[in-house]
Amino acid sequence: MRMSALDAKLLRDLARLWAQVGAIALVMAAGVMTLVLSVGAQRSLFETRAAYYERNAFADIFAAATRAPEALHERIAALPGVAAVETRIRENAVLDIEGMVEPAAGMLVSVPDDGVEVMNRLHVRSGRLPSPGHPDEVVVNEPFAAAHGFAPGDAFGAVINGRKRQLQIVGTALSPEFIYVVTDLMPDDRRLGVVWMSRAALEAAFDLKGAFNSVSVRLLRDQPAAPVIDGLDRLLESYGGRGAHGRADQQSHAFLDSELNGLKAMSYVLPPIFLLVAAFLVNMILSRLIALEREQIGLMKAVGYSGASVAWHYMKLVIVIALIGVALGLVAGTLMGRGLARLYGEFFHFPFLIFRVSVDIYVLAVAVSVGAAALGALRAVRAAAALPPAVAMRPPSPPRYRRLFSGGLPFAPHLPRTMVMIGRNLVRRPLRALFTTLGIALSVAMLVGSLFTFDSIEVLIDSTFFGSERQHATIGFVHKQPAAALYEIERLPGVLVAEPARNVAARIRNGPVERRLAITGKPAGSELSRLMDVEGREISMPEEGVALTAALARILGTGRGGSVEIELMEERRETVPVPVSAVVESYIGLGAYMEISALNRLMREGDYISAVHVTLDPALTDELYAAVKALPMVGSIGLQRVAVQNFRATMAENLLMTMSVLVGLAAIIAFGVVYNGARIQLSEQGRELASLRVLGFTRAEVSWILLGELALLTMLAMPLGWALGHAMAIAMVEGQATELIRIPLVIERATYARASAVVLAASILSALIVRRRIDRLNLVEVLKTRE
Amino acid sequence: METGPIYRIEAVTKVYRGDVDVHALRGVDLEIEAGEFLVLLGPSGSGKSTLVNILGGLDTASGGHVFFRGDDITGLGERELTRYRRDHVGFVFQFYNLVPSLTALENVALVTEIARDPMEPGAALELAGLPAGRHDHFPAQLSGGEQQRVAIARAIAKKPEVLLCDEPTGALDSRTGIRVLEALESINRQFGTTVLVITHNVAVGGMADRVIHFADGRVARIERNETREAPASIAW
Repeated sequence: MRMSALDAKLLRDLARLWAQVGAIALVMAAGVMTLVLSVGAQRSLFETRAAYYERNAFADIFAAATRAPEALHERIAALPGVAAVETRIRENAVLDIEGMVEPAAGMLVSVPDDGVEVMNRLHVRSGRLPSPGHPDEVVVNEPFAAAHGFAPGDAFGAVINGRKRQLQIVGTALSPEFIYVVTDLMPDDRRLGVVWMSRAALEAAFDLKGAFNSVSVRLLRDQPAAPVIDGLDRLLESYGGRGAHGRADQQSHAFLDSELNGLKAMSYVLPPIFLLVAAFLVNMILSRLIALEREQIGLMKAVGYSGASVAWHYMKLVIVIALIGVALGLVAGTLMGRGLARLYGEFFHFPFLIFRVSVDIYVLAVAVSVGAAALGALRAVRAAAALPPAVAMRPPSPPRYRRLFSGGLPFAPHLPRTMVMIGRNLVRRPLRALFTTLGIALSVAMLVGSLFTFDSIEVLIDSTFFGSERQHATIGFVHKQPAAALYEIERLPGVLVAEPARNVAARIRNGPVERRLAITGKPAGSELSRLMDVEGREISMPEEGVALTAALARILGTGRGGSVEIELMEERRETVPVPVSAVVESYIGLGAYMEISALNRLMREGDYISAVHVTLDPALTDELYAAVKALPMVGSIGLQRVAVQNFRATMAENLLMTMSVLVGLAAIIAFGVVYNGARIQLSEQGRELASLRVLGFTRAEVSWILLGELALLTMLAMPLGWALGHAMAIAMVEGQATELIRIPLVIERATYARASAVVLAASILSALIVRRRIDRLNLVEVLKTRE
Repeated sequence: METGPIYRIEAVTKVYRGDVDVHALRGVDLEIEAGEFLVLLGPSGSGKSTLVNILGGLDTASGGHVFFRGDDITGLGERELTRYRRDHVGFVFQFYNLVPSLTALENVALVTEIARDPMEPGAALELAGLPAGRHDHFPAQLSGGEQQRVAIARAIAKKPEVLLCDEPTGALDSRTGIRVLEALESINRQFGTTVLVITHNVAVGGMADRVIHFADGRVARIERNETREAPASIAW
């Protein structure tokens, strides 16, 4: 089949305009890529998780108790809606690993001795499960093993219920229950190990023969969780039940949810920005092309082409541009989506990954991109179709300029004429100026709106670990201890300051709304673990009543002067009304605080403590660690300072990676807008510039006339971009706030500066590319021809 | 006024390299006196525009030398040529090449802002014959003749030593054309500016000191007029 003459023209136009076409296609590709990438990665990860849960029978409901008789198993299984029940023993231990000075935290989990795991089944990666007759055989989670170079056959020490033991690794495994485990709020594979042991071994170690302290339940299909949770709570009430909960409150699941939902935000914000900019660029380039081809359009019509076929000719050009962009975007998005999913998958240690081609997203991407391009082209194409042939073949009526700026500006009465030219050209095309500014501003906003999270997290760390929780470490006891235990800790080597704390599991309620949490008791006037009000000022712990974090107060719909019901879930099981005496700030989790003796009074107990916060002499930490590992009453140690340091290192890496991806994306927009803007202006003003060169203007002076306009718009775009970025940041902070973590809205000046620097650099680079064309203007040629 | 030739042109050649080499100039020798009014005649492609472009620093010679006031400008770089155009040369073209976003006065001011010792933009427009009432009009609001006078004003406002005009009346009717020629003539007389005019109109030769005939990339012959005709008497 022979190509029609118009299609041949189309191909040649595309080839001639390749640089501009490429710039627009890149912007579109970036939009499609971010859409396919984020949706693809997110779906892949959610599906992988779901399949992982399904294959390994991840439980639906979890509950903990102090000591419940195994006989309860039957009664739990009889609750309506329950499909399966598995009782377990879960405890904490301090791990002593050779070659690691600081103690690690161990989560001990029992595996059934008959070898049949009903749910939360281990995915064994190497070795085997512990055999019932060998109480010191353990399976550890693979990331922990990898962090220490452990393999089956290796051993490590552990303080289990006050007794130092040597544990023998017989296998490594992954579990859907511990995809994302954190210690001191940070994931740290080195310092946190999940240790699976034989049920009999743990029963013996914790004196739980014929009893359990943890239970998991799987529901029948489509059964609601709430009635089963209530039933479990009733059954466990007299055995120290600490409140059953569903997956939403399961630590690993909740953290995973919050991570994966972050991906979703990307698919809402970025693609529309790129498509908007692409539509504008299409409009700009096509309007110019049609202006240049005015006479050709007249000719086509004169020889009998209809308005519609002329319109379709130009529309095809636009569709081809869009399809190039979509094709690039789909390929890049699919590949990068898989890469990102793989990255997350490795981070979460998923044993497998499911990729699926999301056909619906592909279709959406094509439709939206072609639609955006067509929309951008609509006005120009309609004008071309409507142009009568006789009018088209005459040159267009000269542009009208307004006599602006002839007296200069109020602050610059003697404005150089070159500036006057820039000003008048701007005013003559206000919409183009507006959209150019907006396009550049959006690339700044995109950077501000994403890079700010690093500022916010820095403030979060600062406020959490240097404002309110200032302790270097927290030593937790296996069981609550009399207040005198504080002095034992105080005497340990390297401890400078020690402060007691007590945690009591409770439900806190106001009307129908309730939350499960630990009420933390701290002494009045504590120096380490402090309360800060919402303005960041320290407030003293009220002698009476409970202090709620702002997020909890909001959820419960109460505040200072109000009142809440506290249902105690340990030993004394009673519901008591307590006045709210303060509202405090905290970005992490939900918290309720009481003065420690007031909390003990509420429990109707003497002076008990469950943890000690300490500050350390850095020179003596090794001695302290050694002492803690040998102390039987210690069940856990949190090393906040170490955690923060590790976290900061991870953040710095993340910043670098996020920065490079976003810089690339922002640069694509800035390049697309500035390069196309400059090329089109060069096409419009090339003659003028050539004549100025003849008059003796230097290349630099002439370039300034052309690029000055863009420079001015770029400058105007900066504050606009900052404002838009600020708005995006507000939306991000509000959209991503969960009960688990809320990031404060903080945008440092450096972030604005960084965003501007990136966009300015990209703009300058694109201007320089066009500048080379200005330098190559053929003076003689231009002057001898009529436009 | 300095004496001696303002331009000395020695064996200048120009070859445009391409699939087929085009020999635009095949060896031109010429001396131009300061203050002279020259008319360059010849068919299209005879090399007159090429020579004028080389004299004006818009193009460079392939061989030979061009001396401006004794200085060789053939080897100058881009930067020096820009400086040379800025300081010494005024151009007038067939298409006026005005800046559409600037008024007549501002178009002239554009040049006076970068010149060393310019005249007042208004004075330049007066000299070129644009009525004061039209100074604040945009090019689109002016007739062709008026636009050409703005272009002349823009060329002379920096008081150049040389005014190079390539078909300045090519797009104008006879009456307007004569006005433009009168403007050039008066500038030549008043300021002693050396003027080179390229034209297809043989009659224009009458107003010149010398008429240079071009053919096939060479100077075919030179005519010297004993007396210069007034532009008004030129038959169009």
